[in-house]
Amino acid sequence: MPEPIQVTVNGVAYAREVPARMTLADFLREELDLTATHLGCEHGVCGACTVHIDGHTARACITLAVQADGTAITTAEGLARNGQLTAVQQGFWNKHGMQCGFCTPGFLMTVTELLDENPEPSDEEIRDALGANICRCTGYTKIIEAVHEAVRLRAAR
Amino acid sequence: MSAGVGVPKLVGASVRRKEDPRLLQGGGRYVADLKRVGLLHAAVLRSPVAHASIRVSVDAVRADPRTRLVLTAADLPEGMPPLPCIDVMPATKPANEPLLARDVVRFVGEPIAVVVAESRAVAEDLLELIELDFEERSAVVDPEAAMADGAPVLHEDWGTNVGNELTHDVGDVDAAFAAAAHVFKQRLKIHRYHGMPLETRGVLADWDPARDHLTVWSSTQFPHALKQFVTGMLGLPPHQVRIIAPDVGGGFGVKCEFYPEEILLCLASRGVGRPVKWIEDRYEHFVSASHAREQIHDVEVAVEPNGVITALRDRIVTNNGAYLHTLAITPSSIASAMVPGPYRIPNYACKALSVVTNKVPLAVYRGAGHPQAVFVMERMMDVIARELRIDPAELRYRNFLQPDELPFDRGTEIVLAGKVVYDSGDYPECLRRALEMVGYEAFREEQARARAEGRCLGLGMAVYVEETAIGPYESATVRVEPSGHLVVYTGASPHGQGHETAFAQVAADQFGVGIDDVTVLHSDTDLMQYGVGTYASRSAPVGGSAMNKAAVVVREKAQRLAAHMLEADPEDMVASEGRIHVVGDPARGFSLAELAAAAMPGSPLPDGMTHELQATEYFDVPGIAFAYAAHIAVVEVDSETGVVTPERYCVVHDSGTLINPLIVDGQVQGGVVQGLGGTLMEELMYDDDGQPLNPNFVDYLMPAVGNVPTIEVGHMETPTPLNPMGMKGAGEGGAVGSPAALVNAVEDAVAHLGVRVMSSPVTPNGLYDLIAAARR
Repeated sequence: MPEPIQVTVNGVAYAREVPARMTLADFLREELDLTATHLGCEHGVCGACTVHIDGHTARACITLAVQADGTAITTAEGLARNGQLTAVQQGFWNKHGMQCGFCTPGFLMTVTELLDENPEPSDEEIRDALGANICRCTGYTKIIEAVHEAVRLRAAR
Repeated sequence: MSAGVGVPKLVGASVRRKEDPRLLQGGGRYVADLKRVGLLHAAVLRSPVAHASIRVSVDAVRADPRTRLVLTAADLPEGMPPLPCIDVMPATKPANEPLLARDVVRFVGEPIAVVVAESRAVAEDLLELIELDFEERSAVVDPEAAMADGAPVLHEDWGTNVGNELTHDVGDVDAAFAAAAHVFKQRLKIHRYHGMPLETRGVLADWDPARDHLTVWSSTQFPHALKQFVTGMLGLPPHQVRIIAPDVGGGFGVKCEFYPEEILLCLASRGVGRPVKWIEDRYEHFVSASHAREQIHDVEVAVEPNGVITALRDRIVTNNGAYLHTLAITPSSIASAMVPGPYRIPNYACKALSVVTNKVPLAVYRGAGHPQAVFVMERMMDVIARELRIDPAELRYRNFLQPDELPFDRGTEIVLAGKVVYDSGDYPECLRRALEMVGYEAFREEQARARAEGRCLGLGMAVYVEETAIGPYESATVRVEPSGHLVVYTGASPHGQGHETAFAQVAADQFGVGIDDVTVLHSDTDLMQYGVGTYASRSAPVGGSAMNKAAVVVREKAQRLAAHMLEADPEDMVASEGRIHVVGDPARGFSLAELAAAAMPGSPLPDGMTHELQATEYFDVPGIAFAYAAHIAVVEVDSETGVVTPERYCVVHDSGTLINPLIVDGQVQGGVVQGLGGTLMEELMYDDDGQPLNPNFVDYLMPAVGNVPTIEVGHMETPTPLNPMGMKGAGEGGAVGSPAALVNAVEDAVAHLGVRVMSSPVTPNGLYDLIAAARR
């Protein structure tokens, strides 16, 4: 049976009916056409589907859409405003913190939460915060550099 | 015509990538993101057992009103050929992998039926209505057991489980062994792991009945090759088929294969008259996308008292899984051709067998057979060094080919690629620089201090030569738009490597324009008639050479046109900052927009000149360009737990001329970490019945940021003579050197405890057992 839900995604309010078994990731991707939230494993390990629910990271592949009822969600599409990249996005661009781009939205959401809570993380704190996001391309060296760059850019803005 | 262009500005520069702003804002478009009007979704029923006779009944699913289409083997067109193996050699057994299993399944994951429905979830629900009866047969998962008398034979038409056999025989190996002062014999085993791109496979097929035209979007590394596969399998003329690789979320060789779903989705779309999409889930990826690496080497090395190697014999057994898939022979071909690596070793013999077992078919993954070959050679270097009490670096120096010995004909050959002739480089210098980067002398002192405190530090090195930039060719088109903007096309097809940036750099330099003045298009067979694709570290050197060639042709045409308009000598024209002008007089010339307008159809042109500033060119590969590198790993081993912590990792590599060092660094670093994961964490495990034991991300461990050190990279740039810009490949090397370097480091850390490491992976459990056994 479809269930009614109301969510705000990237600042836009939606009222929809969804099957109870539909994941939040499928809801965002299939119902709202917000395809930045990628599915790498569909069992909550790789982190590619990471979004913010009420400002905190969550794995959209193991969250049901009905669980998100009444929340405000941000996806990677909702980071940049008017084409102006956030410091985190700019950091990843400047330091080549990405290759195929598939894991990148998940990393951006995770790093954004990290820097919101801890604007000047140490190397160890960065590694700790990113420990559950898998990237198969970069080997992580440039992702760490990208986060340090984002810290610098945020401080400068 | 003179060079006609100033000093290149963009080639060699670490330019930020053009593709990133799009990808950073959620603008990537991967297959799973694509929608079409009327789109349906497919799910695939796969074998739950490794070897069985089967009978499939789909009556219940056909009767279900939610079902739009069902395909079983019985529903396939008459005379459908098996999936092709394209790297066949004279002794290769005939390919026989069906699109859908008919009577027999040979691995867990083999496709049996396809169901199409209005959503993926419903299609998956409907799979449960299929009745599958099976009578299990004995399974064999070990390749040596598969060669033994009485083993179950997978393919009755072959009469054997050996799918291919090849040999190399260089010099007089027997005589060298007879005269050898020392002979070292060793068995070395490399386990099964694979590329595991974060984006799984996916296909969207749209067979338009009104136009009788098929469009296929696939997460593939080589859309042009895929077009040949699709047209061949379906018996369609090329003009009725268009293949598009949209954004591809990593490939690593896994997507350099032809898969049954790429045909099944076309048949499904034709059957329902609507577009159909299939997105592989992660379990399916584990049990149906190609696996890699698994080999056993029995190696013997003949050595003089001073450590100089005079001969090497190897016998390789590759566990190919159930079928000879697209590039099934390449891993044993490359491994067998490349074992001697950067060393002189004048006498070499190798026999390589490709053996089928009841596992997922095995094929190429980042480096194909190179990581195995390097593991064998570099492990043996350390074995010999330890036994003869020679410093491992010194032993390598005594055996290296010297720069003045290049080009050097190894005497071996690689299937689909050609003769192994090392073109250029300085291997000793490469190792010297890597040792300097890591601080070799200081490390040995630190190691001794650590050992006195009971800590186990180790350093491992690996030096290798790697086949890159293979043929047959790559294509490029360069076009000047009426606005003066450059639109260029490549037949190469990226999945994270940054083609849109690197090829823009190459084209821009011919006109002295900026990177934003060039748009790079790719991965669509309707854009380029001919193309090859991205694998074997070939796109920058081969595709870049084609791009450079096409850009030169267009620039020279623009110079001739400008000279004609100015009544000047074309030899006096120069391209600079987007203008073609008389050398030394920038005012006497034209912008690219003005020249594009002058070349428009309908405009008068000099005799013999055609309209449009556009050219399509091909770069035909004259021979393999061999890249090389020295890797050095420093690890600490906890001798109580077997846990290996990589502390440092240094690479000095030579890929010839670099287009974009930032991108190359990323390729090297990413490759190293894939090799690190493959060596210390990742293993595709099976039980004796052929059941996969860890087909999920919880149990198949891959490196996360906490598992890896900073990867330090240094460059040498020895141009290859094999293309005008001197470029060699850089994509795979990281994964080629790291398994050997890491295992050498682990053994160096615990050798004093009596531990020897002759197989991978080196997981904490396995290393703990080795340490415990050595202590007993």
